[in-house]
Amino acid sequence: MTVSLADLPKGHEFAETRFKLTPEWVAEYVRAVEDKAIVSLPDRSYPPLALAACSFRALLEQASLPEGAIHVGQEINFSLSGDRESELVARASIASRGERQGWVLMGIDLNVASDTGKEIMSGRATITFPLNGEVAG
Amino acid sequence: MRQQTEQVRTFGENDSLPVVTKTITQEKINRYADASGDHNLLHLDPAFAATTQFGGTIAHGILVLAYVSEMMTTAFGEAWLKGGRLKIRFRGAARPGDTVTASGRVVRVEGGETKCEVECRNQTGDVLVSGDAEVAIR
Repeated sequence: MTVSLADLPKGHEFAETRFKLTPEWVAEYVRAVEDKAIVSLPDRSYPPLALAACSFRALLEQASLPEGAIHVGQEINFSLSGDRESELVARASIASRGERQGWVLMGIDLNVASDTGKEIMSGRATITFPLNGEVAG
Repeated sequence: MRQQTEQVRTFGENDSLPVVTKTITQEKINRYADASGDHNLLHLDPAFAATTQFGGTIAHGILVLAYVSEMMTTAFGEAWLKGGRLKIRFRGAARPGDTVTASGRVVRVEGGETKCEVECRNQTGDVLVSGDAEVAIR
């Protein structure tokens, strides 16, 4: 059973995860977001946010989102190489955690590098969720 | 078969970016949940979502943000993929039935960097996403 993000402190580092952007998964992602622009680019191109989504998916295998969690902010830098089938390495940590008026505000840093160590994405997702697991009505 | 060439125009300061408009449906939200692995009940379960301050299901923020990325890809092509930066706030929720329009404007072109203001609004003009996007033009 995975731990909830709600139970993790500032400074927590997630286990490094390795994944590949398979052509099948990228196609599923592009269908889901209906990205008409990416299909006009060379075959191996993929949307930058696909990388963010896939690495966040790997993170969710280690820690579940608390009920009622809301994504409130996103920073992302990327430099995609186009070689989507090489193995990628994702590292994540809880960069900030604050509590106010019954809500937790949490910043999660996420970095993705190629298997040769070249950073291709970095960013921070900011989420908020109810402190005690109850949903504000 | 994809095109192997791209036609990307040059943008100057104050130029508008090509808008992207999408209609949000619960089916699209479900599809994104499956692709992303984010099965938060707030997005998927109407009964649960009805108990929240939103009163119903909402789209994943990063799904709405994908429309901004599509706009940037339309405007800047591979340059956006090879060197881009987004910094945004999610300011409102997109709900099933909403029409979401991503738009933007170039605010600065300097030293090979093009900086844009970007946003998404719903059909009533509510801002859902706002922030900055930068692309390195090499």
